[in-house]
Amino acid sequence: MPEPIIDTHALTRDFGEKRAVDALDLSIRPGELFGLVGPDGAGKTTTLRLLAGLLKVTAGTATVAGYDLVKEPEAIKPRIGYMAQQFSMYGELSVLENLHFFAEIYRVPSGELAARTARLLEFAGLAEFTDRRAAHLSGGMQKKLALACTLIHQPQILLLDEPTTGVDPVSRREFWSILTGLHAQGTTIVVSTPYMDEADRCAVVGLIYQGRLAMCAPPAQIRSRVPGEMVELIPGDGRAARRVLAEMPGVLEIQTYGESLHVLVDSAGRRLPRLEGALREHEIAYKNIRQASPRMEEAFISLLRQMNEDEEE
Amino acid sequence: MSFRRIRAIARKEFHHILRDRATLILVLFTPTVLLLLMAYALTVDLQHVPLAVLDYDRSPASRAFVEQITAGEDLDLYAQVNSPGELEAMLMRGEIKAALILHPQFAEDLHAARGIPLQVIVDGTEPESGGFAVEQIGRRAEEFVTRALAGRLQTLGLPAGALQPIDLRVRTWYNPGLDPQNDLIPGLVSIILGFPALSVALTLAHEREHGTMEQLMATPVGRAELLLGKMLPYILVGLFNAIFIPLLAILWFDTPFNGSFLLFFLLSAVFLFSILGIGLIVGVFMRTQAAALALSFLLIFFPGFFMTGVFFPIASMPEIVRMEALSLPGTHYAIITRSIFLTGVGLEVLWPYAVMMAGLGFVFVGIAALFFKKRLG
Repeated sequence: MPEPIIDTHALTRDFGEKRAVDALDLSIRPGELFGLVGPDGAGKTTTLRLLAGLLKVTAGTATVAGYDLVKEPEAIKPRIGYMAQQFSMYGELSVLENLHFFAEIYRVPSGELAARTARLLEFAGLAEFTDRRAAHLSGGMQKKLALACTLIHQPQILLLDEPTTGVDPVSRREFWSILTGLHAQGTTIVVSTPYMDEADRCAVVGLIYQGRLAMCAPPAQIRSRVPGEMVELIPGDGRAARRVLAEMPGVLEIQTYGESLHVLVDSAGRRLPRLEGALREHEIAYKNIRQASPRMEEAFISLLRQMNEDEEE
Repeated sequence: MSFRRIRAIARKEFHHILRDRATLILVLFTPTVLLLLMAYALTVDLQHVPLAVLDYDRSPASRAFVEQITAGEDLDLYAQVNSPGELEAMLMRGEIKAALILHPQFAEDLHAARGIPLQVIVDGTEPESGGFAVEQIGRRAEEFVTRALAGRLQTLGLPAGALQPIDLRVRTWYNPGLDPQNDLIPGLVSIILGFPALSVALTLAHEREHGTMEQLMATPVGRAELLLGKMLPYILVGLFNAIFIPLLAILWFDTPFNGSFLLFFLLSAVFLFSILGIGLIVGVFMRTQAAALALSFLLIFFPGFFMTGVFFPIASMPEIVRMEALSLPGTHYAIITRSIFLTGVGLEVLWPYAVMMAGLGFVFVGIAALFFKKRLG
């Protein structure tokens, strides 16, 4: 197994009294597509900024691309591409000027500049917009421009902080197909996301909760952590249905998604008919009841709920 | 240190200046507007001070006297009144700034060559106008009396000059007309040319506010590369002003320019380097443009007006303020601009000021680079 390209030990960062990242142990192998998930304020952004050398480490050690994050953060910077959550290109500069600016900053050899920019523009679907000012691009195109700029120096590692937040679904899909392409070329990618379907596309997912790494595993493994099996239904009266079903034996957890209820039970085959019986008994209308396999979303919420309960104990 | 990176930052900054309308206006027009505005507003050119006269004598002599007092451009006869009450009312309404009262024996006293009592009342709420009126009345009265008595002296066989035993001949060098504007404008030029320091402070804060600073910090760009790249365009903008603003002063205000334009240009470059150093310090410490603006006024323009000797002579400052004044590039530059404009001296006199400015510049840029961390928070 190759040496990890990002390796942190008890990595900690405080903001005054508040501990934003708490003794984080991360080990990411070269070429891995690593997803960071967790609720807002859990410490995803702080983790990525620490790895990019943008924040002073309070305690702990880390190596990124073979360099000590605490002692030689500047040696790491040419080897990473960092994309902040906020749009951080120059609005007054055109698409091409932004790319050239970062090429000069990273000292991309002049001979390769034209070929690289052409390839990235094509790759990001921005070839038609080279002269448009970055400020006048749509949200999705701005994200793709930012990604192209962080790729101009062909970094070994990409650190992306919620790159698809606030982007329309089509652009999101396009962005992820670009990421998948980069992953296939062997770039190590660490991406934070609030979207569970995106987390599902990562090779390994780290769940951060209150600054700590609560879980770190492939998505399939995380999904399998959901207790029992899942029954999905759309009740007429959600609140009444919840109340009735929560009292049933074998029901572990109930999650609401819009109109539908996702009921986690110890055994779907055994419990499904009884759930239906109970609903009929209480004269609660329902439709589309069926067994379904839990997704990342259910797993994520279930895990958070468990951790909250542990905390309260 | 990579020249390529410095050039990239400088070029990007130029694009920003040229394409952001607010920045372009701030950079190109503010200095011109400031010079025009301040030169007119700050030139205390007292003329046409309104004056009322209460003449108890009403003789040909007293009428001739009043006529002579108000003959020039400086004092205007607002009204001839008949009672002190009227005078007071006019003073209170602010219609007149000064009043002159001639006593009933004016002509008699003049004829007898006795001391002539002459009462002047001035409005103390505007001491400049009042003092000016007193000065003018005194001067005119003396002329009037001298002329009136000259004929009498001749009949006594004395020369007319006997009344003025000392013949004072004042010659003002470098500013022969003692025109206050000739001294004010080179001083203003020294303050106005410091303006790019504000822009450089704002542009650093702008990058922080817009997240582009975070992006830059994640790149391998060096701190010195970033700061020098930021500075360069504003030095060039400042040098453009260093040509344009003196031309405006010379062509519009007829300010004399006796020194070397080339020397002025070169020393302006040194000044820009040091004042932009202060701008960088402001930009390094302040997180928002609003804060950077406030601190710029506190560190650059407030001292520019009050401590660099443009308006208040440094010699009259308390010791500790004088020390502080010497650590401001503007103090040295104000001396340089005035010298080059008015006395026309060269580097043989001005080199210590140039050295001081350069030294301060290195200190300021050093401080900025030292405290500029490529870290957030």
